[in-house]
Amino acid sequence: MTIERFRKEVADRGLSDVEASEWRGSIRLEGQVASWSDYVELGRLAVKIGTRGVVNDLEVSGPEGCDLAHEDPLAAMGHLEEGGELEGLSFDVAIVGGGVIGSAVARELSKWSISTILLEKEEDVATHASGRNDGMIHDGFAAKPGSLKAAYNVRGNRLWEPLAADLGIEFARPGSLILFHAPAAKALYPVLASRASENGVDGWELWSRSRVLAEEPKVTSDQHGGFFLPSAGCLSPYKATVALAESALANGVRISLDTIVTGLETEDSRLRRVRTNRGSFAVKALVNAAGIWADVVAGMANDRFFSLHPRRGVDMILDRASGALQRHIMAMPSLLQGREVTKGGGLVKTIEGNILVGPTAREAPGREDYSTSQAELRELDRHFRLNRALSPSMLITYFAGVRACTWEEDFIVGPSASVLNLVHAAGIQSPGLASAPAIAHDVAASVLAILERTMKVSPNSRFVAKRRPVPELARLPLEERAAWIGRDKAYARIVCRCEEVSEGEIRAALRPRPAASLPPSVVGPASPEGGAFTEARLHASSLDAVKRRTRAGMGRCHGGFCTPRVMETIAEELGLPLTAITKKGPGSQLVAGETKAPAAIHLAAILPAAIPPSAERAAEEE
Amino acid sequence: MAIDRIEADVVVLVGGPAGLAAALAAAGAGARTIILEREERLGGILKQCVHDGFGLRRFGEALTGTEYALRFSALIPGSGVETMTGAFVHEVARDEERGIYRLVAISAERGIFAIETASIVVATGCRERSDRQILIHGDRPAGVFTAGLAQRLVNVEGLLPGKKALILGSGDIGLIMARRLLLEGMEIEGVYEVKAEASGLARNIAQCLVDFGIPLHLSTTVTEIHGGRRVESVTIAKVDERGSPISGSERRVACDTLILSVGLIPENEILQSLGLPLDPATRGPRVDQSGWAGLPGLFACGNAVHVNDLVDDVSDSGEIAGAAAARFAREEHHALPAGHDARVPLKAGPGLLYAVPQLIDPRQKGKVDIHFRTNATIREGARVLLKSGDRVVAERRFIALRPPEAESLSFDPTLLGEVQALVLELDRQAGAGGAA
Ligand SMILES: Cc1cc2nc3c(=O)[nH]c(=O)nc-3n(C[C@H](O)[C@H](O)[C@H](O)COP(=O)(O)OP(=O)(O)OC[C@H]3O[C@@H](n4cnc5c(N)ncnc54)[C@H](O)[C@@H]3O)c2cc1C
Repeated sequence: MTIERFRKEVADRGLSDVEASEWRGSIRLEGQVASWSDYVELGRLAVKIGTRGVVNDLEVSGPEGCDLAHEDPLAAMGHLEEGGELEGLSFDVAIVGGGVIGSAVARELSKWSISTILLEKEEDVATHASGRNDGMIHDGFAAKPGSLKAAYNVRGNRLWEPLAADLGIEFARPGSLILFHAPAAKALYPVLASRASENGVDGWELWSRSRVLAEEPKVTSDQHGGFFLPSAGCLSPYKATVALAESALANGVRISLDTIVTGLETEDSRLRRVRTNRGSFAVKALVNAAGIWADVVAGMANDRFFSLHPRRGVDMILDRASGALQRHIMAMPSLLQGREVTKGGGLVKTIEGNILVGPTAREAPGREDYSTSQAELRELDRHFRLNRALSPSMLITYFAGVRACTWEEDFIVGPSASVLNLVHAAGIQSPGLASAPAIAHDVAASVLAILERTMKVSPNSRFVAKRRPVPELARLPLEERAAWIGRDKAYARIVCRCEEVSEGEIRAALRPRPAASLPPSVVGPASPEGGAFTEARLHASSLDAVKRRTRAGMGRCHGGFCTPRVMETIAEELGLPLTAITKKGPGSQLVAGETKAPAAIHLAAILPAAIPPSAERAAEEE
Repeated sequence: MAIDRIEADVVVLVGGPAGLAAALAAAGAGARTIILEREERLGGILKQCVHDGFGLRRFGEALTGTEYALRFSALIPGSGVETMTGAFVHEVARDEERGIYRLVAISAERGIFAIETASIVVATGCRERSDRQILIHGDRPAGVFTAGLAQRLVNVEGLLPGKKALILGSGDIGLIMARRLLLEGMEIEGVYEVKAEASGLARNIAQCLVDFGIPLHLSTTVTEIHGGRRVESVTIAKVDERGSPISGSERRVACDTLILSVGLIPENEILQSLGLPLDPATRGPRVDQSGWAGLPGLFACGNAVHVNDLVDDVSDSGEIAGAAAARFAREEHHALPAGHDARVPLKAGPGLLYAVPQLIDPRQKGKVDIHFRTNATIREGARVLLKSGDRVVAERRFIALRPPEAESLSFDPTLLGEVQALVLELDRQAGAGGAA
């Protein structure tokens, strides 16, 4: 489509206030439309012009009003403190964004003897898309053949298994089963197989109706066989992101949380300085891994040749008991209609054994709007019928995440065409988690190429690949668990009764270095690499950060019982008053202050010695 | 792995009011009894209930929850009951061959250890329903608390949840927290209730709301929470007869705290792990009048069976279950004829939410109290009948019946004779005739 043709189509729709122009090799839309759906429709239509990118700067007026182009990430972060810690410093590389992409890039760069800083505006890594997704390591079948998504997905899928082992996080390959909804759908097998082969997917099988039934006894009686992709895997997306960041930290990367990039200074097509709320500093190269804000960060460098639009996804989480009722990831797309066969979600078995129902896919204007609605939840009900043993009564909670989508619906990975020392990892929507290790690999290679123009870069001889995780006692054999308890009794004090998380695990997640060294039985003989491992911990301080790391508060009571004890443990470890403990960083304090009379005094009066400890401890602290 | 193994006749899980009563009764009957309590102190949720109104029936005085718990826990030393606090039950398994249960537990004091016991009394109480379970949507900021969590923060930790609270749910804990938070200096926007009438006891409405001028909004619910970091406001809406929000009635109310008192759910994960189905009406096990819960030597009591209004009833059920568990360990343990069960099912008829116990054992001597709730308010009076076929076994008249207030009906099962099944029936016609 030509730009003229586009203009005509816009005019045909009666949208008079829309301008389309060429801009930095992309097409840019400006003006005003009256609804969000017009905004989305024109963005999609502009892709047909076939330029390098689509920059959709249309403002939406009316009740759905929004102006994505002029949104400022800082505006939503008014609570952030100013500081001068970074003022005047200088780094070889700065990475903007502590999602799975930024964290994976940081770890990749920590293999080199360069100075790297990771900047994240929130109080922890993995608070946005990387902490709000299905945790599925896709097989690579669904991505459009020839897209970056397809290539990175398949490569990433292969890289995750050994990477997860190094990071000390669990990874499994339950495999993904695409059920046929009609007898005729089976005839599509050659088409499906050829697509899988085109994408380079690692293996696929045609399963008969009876094979499906044998593998999944609780499956709907309404299935007509299926297409099975054994390479589909799963992991905990937030644990993976935390692990990548902690491994990078241990290998020398500086991680600056609560730090927002507010501007970039360029000179002769080069980025020179990064401005943040904690001061401005010099860089030789910059990685843009800012998730849904990546177009805004690109704009700060005068390289906004694409724009992102948010696509919200909602998932339900079912009770842990659901996990026993299904072995594979399952979906039943309407194969005969869509080209995007996995659109519409399904039943995802998570690494923890819960089942996720979802996600939905809905265009919505809020970049960080994680609100949910009843209508979105009800959209998911249809998936329940895939597994007869599941029911909506197993719901324990639900959440929303936002995918950062370019109008072309593909990733942007690699060096900027106009800024000499900028590398983008933008538009990383699904399957961004699955693709992360491969994207990080290529981004790091681009960064090194930039640095090598001005300096000599050598490998970091002290890089240690293996990371020792915070132990998850409930998942260990009793002997190992007993050994941990032998070292530190805190591992025997269960704080979260739903998920069986001990005080020791929470302390270990908060400490730069766990107090209890591993019992010998766990370390075992030295590994061929000499058994070296790292165990640096990111300075987590919020309730949500503890939840991401240990699952405390993630169970059926939603923290109703354990919240006070988790707060106390955080306060003790970090030397903070209880009133300073937050749910998710500055501005989200859990309590407003203290009661009129200290509770400990009150309790000591009515609880004499007959009821043992704890209040005495509280009283001593007063 | 060799772990310490302890033997017992009766293990009581856990040490709240039901468990304390059960353990004292079991030890009193001569059983080697252990309480496993996951918290550091005995007393369960009563520890944080510093308001009064507990134990009117049992002790004839209005105690605080804390004092009530203390009356019981003070009896533990010297009773023969062994208490293990800070002890978490990791696993319970039945050893059919030896006719025992094997528990694996963890505590700081003992590490990982096993207990083998003939009998178990499950007294695990309830947890609170959360915002997610009642499908409140919108944002996820800090400042949303269940009433019990807010109560613990205030009464045990000495922390104030916020500055201005809106309370959803007029259940007793919600009402009590409205008053408590007000006394601590918080502003209370109001108590909102989705139903057309309040869910709490009448005396709590009077003493916690009316006396303090806190407004109660009926047929109104919270549909959305707003605020990025901390709650800034909530959307409330009127609801129709079916409880669905009426569109157009929405209104935003500013507050920094949302307190939820929207129901309790019996905690029965241990029973479920033993493969026992729960009664969908109570979400507790199906029990007989002694608290027997479906496997040899397995008993349940208190709020794990059904949500009680009064702690006195909880203690009563604990005593019954504890004594029965001790009796089982002593007498029936090896003598139970396999497959023989003389128990008769008791069903709740139309108009009744549930009736507990769900099974009646005609061999057990002594008066049985059937606890039940109606599923709607009946103001014009009604009769409740226990029937076997057409035969009325027992009956009682009520002036009024309200779902929030459980009622009971007594009868003597040894007088039943040959019965196949029992039904508790609600007879609204017979109402007007006055009360028993
Ligand atoms: C519901 C849902 C389900 C999904 N399921 C899957 C799945 O099963 N498998 C899969 O592979 N993918 C899935 N995805 C996609 C996947 O979550 C994303 O592709 C991936 O997390 C993107 O990572 P990221 O690091 O690019 O973004 P993010 O995790 O969003 O990280 C970007 C970070 O940059 C920070 N930032 C932004 N601007 C600034 C600034 N100016 N200064 C400092 N910091 C800044 C942000 O705070 C944020 O933390 C799903 C997505 C959704 C929404």
